[in-house]
Amino acid sequence: MYKAIPDEILLDSEKPARYIGNEINVVKKDSEKVDIRFAFCFPDVYEVGMSHLGLQILYYFLNRREDTYCERCFAPWIDMEEKMRQNNIPLFALESQQPIKNFDFVGFTLQYELCYTNVINMLDLAGIPIYRKDRTEDDPIIICGGSCAYNPEPIADFVDMFYLGEGEVLYDKILDIYKQYKKEGRSKQEFLERMLDFDGLYMPQFYDVTYKENGQIDAITPNNPKARKVITKVIVKDLDKVFYPEKQLVPLIEVVHDRVTVELFRGCIRGCRFCQAGFVYRPVREKRFETLLKQAESLVKSSGHDEISLISLATSDYTCFHELASGLLDEFKNKEISISLPSLRVDSFSLDLMQKIQEVRKSSLTFAAEAGTQRLRDVINKNITEDDILNGCKLAFEGGWLKVKMYFMLGLPTETDEDLIGIAQLCDKIVEKFFEIPKEDRPRPITVNASASCFVPKPFTPFQWDAQDTYEDFSRKGQLVKNNIKRKQVRFTYHNTMMSSLEGVMARGDRRISAAIYRAWQLGCKYDGWTDLFDYSKWQKAFNDTGIDMSFYANRLRSYDEVLPWDHISVGVSKKFLIEEREKAMRAEVTPNCRQKCSNCGAKRFGGGVCFDER
Amino acid sequence: MTNDNFKYRFKFTKGEEIKFIGHLDFMVAFQRAIKRADIPIAYSNGFNPHQLLNFASPLSLGYTSIGDYGDLQLQNWLSADEIKTRLNENMPIGVKILEVAELSKNAKKVMTSLCAASYEVKFEEAVTPKIIEENIDKFMLQDEIIVLKKTKRNLKDTDIKPDILEIENASDKAGKIKAKVNAGSVKNLKPESVAEAFMKYVGLEFNKNKNRYTRLDMYMSDQNGGLVGLIDGVEKI
Repeated sequence: MYKAIPDEILLDSEKPARYIGNEINVVKKDSEKVDIRFAFCFPDVYEVGMSHLGLQILYYFLNRREDTYCERCFAPWIDMEEKMRQNNIPLFALESQQPIKNFDFVGFTLQYELCYTNVINMLDLAGIPIYRKDRTEDDPIIICGGSCAYNPEPIADFVDMFYLGEGEVLYDKILDIYKQYKKEGRSKQEFLERMLDFDGLYMPQFYDVTYKENGQIDAITPNNPKARKVITKVIVKDLDKVFYPEKQLVPLIEVVHDRVTVELFRGCIRGCRFCQAGFVYRPVREKRFETLLKQAESLVKSSGHDEISLISLATSDYTCFHELASGLLDEFKNKEISISLPSLRVDSFSLDLMQKIQEVRKSSLTFAAEAGTQRLRDVINKNITEDDILNGCKLAFEGGWLKVKMYFMLGLPTETDEDLIGIAQLCDKIVEKFFEIPKEDRPRPITVNASASCFVPKPFTPFQWDAQDTYEDFSRKGQLVKNNIKRKQVRFTYHNTMMSSLEGVMARGDRRISAAIYRAWQLGCKYDGWTDLFDYSKWQKAFNDTGIDMSFYANRLRSYDEVLPWDHISVGVSKKFLIEEREKAMRAEVTPNCRQKCSNCGAKRFGGGVCFDER
Repeated sequence: MTNDNFKYRFKFTKGEEIKFIGHLDFMVAFQRAIKRADIPIAYSNGFNPHQLLNFASPLSLGYTSIGDYGDLQLQNWLSADEIKTRLNENMPIGVKILEVAELSKNAKKVMTSLCAASYEVKFEEAVTPKIIEENIDKFMLQDEIIVLKKTKRNLKDTDIKPDILEIENASDKAGKIKAKVNAGSVKNLKPESVAEAFMKYVGLEFNKNKNRYTRLDMYMSDQNGGLVGLIDGVEKI
């Protein structure tokens, strides 16, 4: 077996298996006999990337084509990167162990903003020029997708092509045309121009951005007659008919999520106003439970995993949840397989269900309350009341659960100190609920683990115009909550405030901040999402060096008529709707979910999903 | 309940492709292969049931093997051949089941039976076939062979000579030795220690990542005090 890295180096590295491949269900092809080579890159460490569902789907989707060989590539961990650089080993794909520089496509999935320096670092390790302008015909086409691609501007100078939407829709067409163009000996430029025929693909080179004196964007203008003014995402209409892999890659070392993943639906009916996923993946499209049972069965069989995870943005919103749950129970009852249900609404039905399927392992219960008072929960349209939480906890305590996890956010729009103290009070009330149970029924103590993240305003949400708190604000607020918690059973932690600040800059950045990202990488930034590797002072220096003001992007309230860096992208949800939602937020008015009532957000244009259900 | 189970022993290889998977991860991978193969494995009783599957001895990270062993217990009977076929269809790349044998109910467990193992050491280039040829006999004629061994708390000079049962020059173009050493829970010697001692003896610096190690076979005692393979020597049905 050929290995890109010599044994001696592998033996000296932290986890050599990260660089070997050969997992269960890996696809092996003769790289000489395919027309298209595609490197699917995940800009984080192996164990994180291998837990990503999108990778599993696209890997088999692309590899089902005989003419295409899709291989995986992850960011090498720090120790290995150093050795690769010392020994001039270029970044390679796991399957063939061959350098990705010679591939046709190098695709990155962008799952969080703080991965951008890793994207740059991987290009550099591969020996591919980082800036698009420096690349030649010999270099691969760099394509990016994933949720961060919806604001592609911060890395627009590095990327040839952004894919906006779900991969199943366009990749066959893209690859067919690429293959034909390659055969005809046409240039990369010709190919990228041809891609202008498709909605859902954004090639930054065909758009110019001009700025006003005050630093705001003046206009985003197409510079090619074929380039459309607005590029709209593409999505799958019917998830029952679309390709879903019958098997999945099973790593040979422990990864973040070692389990079979079944995707119940895409999108979310809720419309929580802070949540980007809740808007960019609209509308909700479900799979039939028969489809899901079949997929679960074949995935379990082909993987040997002992856990099935039912995932989606809000599992309990799945319409046939009863049927699915009992079907899974019947199928897997005596097979030593557990079922995990993330993001479940806690009521007596779901607790009963959890009792049944997780008989021995009583994990903790999780509530995403997000805010400490009903007023603020109404502002963010978080459809959960204090009674829901307290009653759910009471049921859980009676059922024998002893751990409750609570998620909150600091720095939401309109938040006051009262809302923050409300977080502390709510946690205390949960503990009090526990003590309402007769003493003989509570043999062991409980813990309430409350954690708060720092609110980051995201594009395509009603809060996309809002100012983010500074990290100093976040720290004060975190401490305020902490100081107001009275019960010793409550443990409160909050997220790295500086990391959230940087995320705030990246999330709503424009093309100009690419210089700072590049500079930060030069200064040694990478793995910025890893607390122990994150170095805010380097980022501050990078922004200083490039003359870019971080607060212009993070901490500034925009007006509705300002041109936003992502205004040439559409996720189907109209700006008009987002403005209405923001106005309602300021009045603490809630919006019904998509099943209760259509609020005309604009996602109906995609012609499928919940928008066409009878209500 | 365990007494009603059907017991089997298997011999397998671990090749280049999988040598960087450590023992614990390897066990998980093997358990998943059993599940994919739909083999009616028996589970332990208790709070967290686990598969009744045991390996003779962990193989160090980076080692290959052409003679590793394990035991498994089934709830329902399958022929040894059937198990072999099904496992081989589901093994990770680089693992091959060479042999499966059904054991009698009172066969001793593979871990407790194990008493020796043989290895091949392929040395780094500095250790030439010539060096081995000229030194291997003299090396073994020493009164004692001392290496610094790591114990739970500290480093300690240890005489490994009693644990080396056989040693021979196995060089081809590369410098290689074969060694049979004590293995198991009572006395256990790693081939790395033999390699280290030999390199020290010939005045070369030992680097733990530069030599290559392959386990060749694993043994139990036979009635006459000799050594026999863990399948050859076990009580079968």
